Formats: sequence, C-alpha cells, structure tokens
Amino acid sequence: MGKYLDNPASLKIDLMLRGIRMEDPVVKAWACGSSGVDILLPQDTLVNIPCRESFTKGSPYLIKRRGERYFITDGKSEVPVKLVQRPAFYGKTTSTGVPFSDIATVHGSYTVVTPSKRCDFFNRSIECKYCAGNFNVEGASDRVFSVDEVVETAEAVLKEGASKIIYLSIGFSPGDDGGIEFLRPYITAIKKNFNCLVAVEALPPKQNRWIDETYALGADSVLYNLEIFDKELFEIICPGRAAQIGRKRYLEALEYAARIFPNGTVASHLIVGLEPPGSTCMGIDCLTEMGVVPVLPIYRPSSEKDLSISPLTTEIIIPVYKHLYKAVTKRKVNLNWVRDISMVTTPAEIRGLVDESKGGLMESFYKSRLGMKTAWGLSSLRRKLRVVDKDPDGSEH
Amino acid sequence: MAVEIDTRPIWLILALRALRPVFFAVLGLVFIFVVQMPTPDGLTQAGQNAIAVFLLCLVLWITNAVPLAITSLFAIVLVPMLGILSNKDTYALFGNEAVFFILGAFILAGAVMHSGLSNRIALGIMQRYGGSPKKLLLSIFLLAAVLSFFMSEHAVAAMLFPIVLEISKALGLKPGSSNYGKLIFFSLAWGCVIGGVATFLGGARVPLAIGILKETTGDTIGFLEYTVAVMPLVIIMLFVGYFLLTRFYPIDITGVESAHEIIAKRIKGLGKVSFSEYAVGFVLALTIAAWMFMGRQLGLAAIALSSVVVLFVFRLVRWKDIEEYVNWGIILMYGGAIILGTALDKSGAAKWIVSESVGQWAGSPWAVFAIFSLLAILMTEAMSNAAVIAVLLPVSIGLAQSLSMDPTLVTFAIAVPAGLAFMFPMSTPANAIAVSSNYVTVRDMTKGGIIMCVVAWAVFNLVAAFWWPLIGMGY
Repeated sequence: MGKYLDNPASLKIDLMLRGIRMEDPVVKAWACGSSGVDILLPQDTLVNIPCRESFTKGSPYLIKRRGERYFITDGKSEVPVKLVQRPAFYGKTTSTGVPFSDIATVHGSYTVVTPSKRCDFFNRSIECKYCAGNFNVEGASDRVFSVDEVVETAEAVLKEGASKIIYLSIGFSPGDDGGIEFLRPYITAIKKNFNCLVAVEALPPKQNRWIDETYALGADSVLYNLEIFDKELFEIICPGRAAQIGRKRYLEALEYAARIFPNGTVASHLIVGLEPPGSTCMGIDCLTEMGVVPVLPIYRPSSEKDLSISPLTTEIIIPVYKHLYKAVTKRKVNLNWVRDISMVTTPAEIRGLVDESKGGLMESFYKSRLGMKTAWGLSSLRRKLRVVDKDPDGSEH
Repeated sequence: MAVEIDTRPIWLILALRALRPVFFAVLGLVFIFVVQMPTPDGLTQAGQNAIAVFLLCLVLWITNAVPLAITSLFAIVLVPMLGILSNKDTYALFGNEAVFFILGAFILAGAVMHSGLSNRIALGIMQRYGGSPKKLLLSIFLLAAVLSFFMSEHAVAAMLFPIVLEISKALGLKPGSSNYGKLIFFSLAWGCVIGGVATFLGGARVPLAIGILKETTGDTIGFLEYTVAVMPLVIIMLFVGYFLLTRFYPIDITGVESAHEIIAKRIKGLGKVSFSEYAVGFVLALTIAAWMFMGRQLGLAAIALSSVVVLFVFRLVRWKDIEEYVNWGIILMYGGAIILGTALDKSGAAKWIVSESVGQWAGSPWAVFAIFSLLAILMTEAMSNAAVIAVLLPVSIGLAQSLSMDPTLVTFAIAVPAGLAFMFPMSTPANAIAVSSNYVTVRDMTKGGIIMCVVAWAVFNLVAAFWWPLIGMGY
C-alpha cells in the first residue's frame, strides 16, 4: 500500500496538504462552488480535500469511481472511500429567498453559520494575510442575515441531521465585547428553539465579563483563534489581531475561558504551515497547559499568495500532530467535543498515528444520537448550576 | 443581564443547591411538627398554629430565602387555612389604615420626586449653604436628614447619591483614601438613617408598627406625638454623627469651588421652577400640616389618600409617572405582617410566648423597654427593619399588657431603633449606596456603625427616661 494510504489519520493530513485530482463528473459537481470535497476515509475519518487550488494539480492522489464505489489512489495502491452526500438544504432557500448555503456550511459534526460576512480588519487594511476573504466586506456587501434567517437555517440543518452542532462565526468588529453583543440574539434564538449545542468563534473580548456572558447566553464551546503562536510572525501575518487585540490578550482570554467553559470546549486554531513546526509545538504546549484544545488546520495557499514555510511536507508536520495528541492526553483535555471535523485533523483522529487504540467507550457513546442528547443535557445542566444572576430578586429593607 | 460564573467544583455547587430544597423540606417538617405536637397548657390550638406560622415567617424573614413580600403572602394564606382567623377577618386586615397610609406616602413621594422639586431643594440648599468644605459636608448631612423627615430615607439616598458622587468627582477625591470622600458619603447614609426615624414618612416601618398596635390594642400614635417624642433623639444623633465623622476622618481638602460649579450646572439644567413643582410642594406642605394637626380626627391614611386624589384631579402627576415609585412588594409585606401580628394576639399566642419566655427575665417596664430596643437595634443591622417590627412587636405588646405597661411605649421601643441601622451595607439601602461609591469601605462602616449603634441605643433610652415624662409619656 502507498505511503499514507494505510493510515486514515496520516492520509487525511497528506490529502489536506496536497489536495486531490478529480476525474469523475459526480465528484466535480460536488466540489463545484465549494472549498473542497468532503470524503469519508476508512475508520469514518472525515476530510475536506482541497481540489480547486492550483497546488492540487501536482497531487499524487486521484479520486476515481468504479461502479457505485469511490476509491482514492496514489497510483500504486488505493483505498475505498465514500463521497459525503451534499446536504439537501444547500439547494433550498430561506423564506426571504436567501440560499441556505450562503448562511451555513457543513463541516462534519458541526455546521458553520456566519450571520455577518463583515470583518472590520478588511476596512482598516489590517486583515490576516492568509485570509481567503470569507469575511471580505467588498465581496459580501455588508449582508447581515437576520435572526429569523439564521434560525430557519439552523432548523434546516438540524431537521436534516446534517450536523449536530451549530457553530456561529463572526469577524472582527470594533468594541469591547468581541462581537458577543452582535451574536446575542442569534445564540438566544437558537437555544430557545432547538436542543442543540452551540459553538461560538469570535474575537477575544477586552473584559472577561463578556466571556461569562458568552457562556451564560448558551454557548457550549468557544473558539478564540490565535492562528500563529510565534510572536513576531503573529504581528506580521495577523496585523489586525496583533494591533487591536494583542497576543497577550488572546492567551489571557483563552485561559479564562478554559476556567469557565467545560473541559475540552475551549479551542484555538494554530495554522500549520505558517510558522516553524517547533513554534506550533510550543503553542500546543502553551494552550494545552491552560486546558485549551489546539486545533490545527493546514494552511492552503492560494494562487495569489503563498505564505507557507518551506519545505512543508507531511513528514514534517505529522510529528506536530503527534505532539498535539500527546499534549492533550497528558493534560487530560477532553477530546469528545472537537472531533469529526472535515476541515482539520482533530486530536482524536491522531490517536491512530500514535497508538493502535480506537478510542474508548465514551468516545463511541458521545458520537451516538443518545450521546449527543446526553452532551446537550449535561451542558445545559452545568450552565444552570454555574451561571449566577447578579441581579436576583431583591427585597426592600 | 449581569452574570457571574461560579467556578467552584460542580459537586460543591450541587451540594449547595441541594441545601435550598433541603432547607424548605426541613422547615416544612418543623412547621408540621409544631402544628401537630400536643398543645401546651395555657395555649389554644389556634395559638399553637399561630406560633407555627410566626416561626415559619421568622425564619423566612431572617434568611430572606424568599422575598419578604412572598413570606407575608404565605402568612396570609396560612392564617385562615389553619383556622387562626377566619378568611373574612384575615383579608379584611389587609385593608388596614397603615397599609393605605404607606401607599399614599409612596405616591406623594413619587410625585415630589417626579416633579423635580426634591432635586431642586437639595441642589439649592447645597449651593446656598455649602460655601466651604465644612459647610458643604454639613449641608449634605442635614439635607439628607431633613429630606428623610418628609420622604422615604431610601428614596432620599437614591436621589442624593448621583449629586454627591458628581461632587466627589469634581473635587478630585480618590476612592478609598480621601477622608472628605468618606465624610460626604457617610453624611449621606447616616443623615438618611437618623432623619428617617423623625417622622412617619422616613420609612414605612412606623406606620406598620402603628397598624399592628391598632389592630391588637385599638391604641394609636399621632403624627405630631411621634415626632415630638423622637425629635430629641434625632437632634442628638445628628450632633453625635457629625462629631464622630469629623473626628474619624478630618477634612483633608481646602476648597469646594469645583463642586459649586457642578451644582450650579445642575441647577441651571433644571430650568425655572415649574407650576407642577409649586403645586406638588403646596399639596405636600398641606398634607404634612394635616397629618400634624388633624391626623387623629381624620386619620393619616385618609389625609394621604385625599392628597393623592388632589394630585390626580389637578393632573399634577400621571399614574405611569408614579408607578415606579410605589413599592408594591413592601405594601404586601406590611399587610401580611399586620395579619400575622393580629393572629398572634387574637389567638393568645403572643401572651403565651411572653409568659413562657421573655416574661421570665423582663420583669419591669424599664427592662422590657431596654431589652426590646436593644433587640430591635441589633436585629435591624442584619434583617429588614419591617421584619424586625413584624417579629418583635406582637410579642412585646403581649408582654406590655401582662405588665400593665402602655403598649404604645413598646411600639416606640421597637419602631424607632428598627430604623437606626448604621453598621452594615445590608442593614439599609442608604448604607449600601454609600459603600457602592467605593469611598466608604465595609470596614469603615462597621467601625463607625458599632459606635453609632451603641450611642443611639443609649440616647434613645435616655430620651425615653428623661424627655418622655416631660411630654406626658413614660413607663
């Protein structure tokens, strides 16, 4: 078998790094308009494989169809895979006529919902250098989706069972709250209408009280994405984040959030490929020490700009992922929350690179329907116990 | 929503949360036990039930496990349910004159505040008399006290707080370290507390006490009679308060020009005196005069409600303007307290409690007066002053009757000290407001409060011993 084909975890990393070529018209149609194609590798390992960027043309991998079955081959050997069904709701619209696919994107166990495509870093020309422009104000013409539109989208996602977690994501907006005031009505409405888990990706607020508010509102998980751990590279590649928030505040906010949110539900992206592996490993140690789950997406260079370190190969980055797995298990960070995400290789998936075990009973349980309901129930109970209203019903003296 | 996240271990939070249902379950069991236990000699079943309700309310009022008003509603439900009083009698007690007097006083105070008159008077006095640090301090102290003669002390503290806070900022006083900062906020709190006991209007506790007195004995206390009896205490405590404050915290600033600018700016912002300010002021003055000179004939509540009607007839105020000033919770609480007090009296429970407990060691009127005033002044530091009255007054009236002592005296012994809360922020909202400024710490308040508490109790007893006989009262 090929170099990485025999191990789904390493194959996922290699596929994300090198992309895939396509011949089959069905797969091509799937990938049309998407950032990549969602494939289910052996051992239910979900991956979103780049297929449109120019670097994918040189990929050794090809996805091919034989009868009703799909295979990924590197020219020497092949593994059977499954093409993830495109969610049916992608083809539908809200009652206001907005395509659901404009508002939400399924990434495996969670669906990213972006109520606003704004990121004020673009307005100030201090956007992150790697950003593909998802939040580009020019491209998105300031469209803010209403609470009703987002609720309709969440309903469509959950009804279809496309994923079980609604992941609300916003860009930078001026203010001390990191965007939580903006997200408040969305979180409240989703929590009011559905028994689902909600994750929030926002910018670290200036005061910790906003983190308390985020948890109290109903967010079950929070992500403040540092993206780059190296101080100097962070300032160069993420000038907006460095100037408006600062690396120190990122780390402070993550540390505080890890004390407020349940174990394993506070995460931060560290992009692999934008800084030396050693630096990423230091970031992993720093974050896991705080109880934060480092999530390691792989940098996808665009045709216009390539910021990646050189050489960037699977051989170089696999040790980083192994280090991640060892760090999270050493610090006893719960891995049940950040898992089954197509865009990143999660610590739970890396287990296959480090040992042969397939995860415990608990992991299987939390993947089940009953497990998700249990997670939701426990998360709600924990919130009920931990959140204290500071304006209780007072009585006149 | 202002929230806080409890980061203690979940097991500990669960255990603490479980305490509440356990607390109520235990309370319920104790209540049932007291109701079901064999009736002691000298006590009727109704009396025993009344004691059970009293104990239940006592625990709930002290712990504040549910809002005070809800405890009162619970008492209203239990009294007829346990056959202590009939349904008709129980709910009729809610129509007590004291309850309607309190309602009228709330509406009048609301009208005065809404018109802006109280604010204008406060600012005017500060501008007129606050020419130096000492004079400004004195004007805040006396203003808080004198305004509390006519309005709820809580309302006065809330009204003056933003003005005093702005003055402290204009003077550049540093929270925590500035003596003058401490002085002006202590003046605000203590002025309100001392002034609040001068008349029926400083707080609703005196009308509550009189309501219980009237329901249990048929006696009452007149507006003027009360003020004349208490005024020496108020004057002496104002002197003592000012003396103590300026000794504890010597004035550490030399001028107050910047404060004057702020006051002048605020006065300018008020514009000229409006017709409604004149008219509301006139109605209030007339009402106070009627309370003083015709209170006994017409009834305090009738006067208060007549004034309210006048305010609305002449459209000096709209209902939605004063709605926020009417504390319905406290009205419910007082109604329930009166019902509970009457239940204890009519069932004979109050007399039985006295004969079995306090009566053993409070053998003389003097001792009764001293002990109950001490209990009241200590209890009010930790619990609602209205709850102090609801808990102590029915028992003390029973004791007074058994000693052939005038029940109005024990009403004074409890109603007046119940308003003298100096020690802690939770003792009264005026103290809480002072501490919330960050100029006065809890430690400062406790230190000064202990001395004020002891002095107030001693002065009150001395006034009762030496002043009251001169005006035809006394034990």
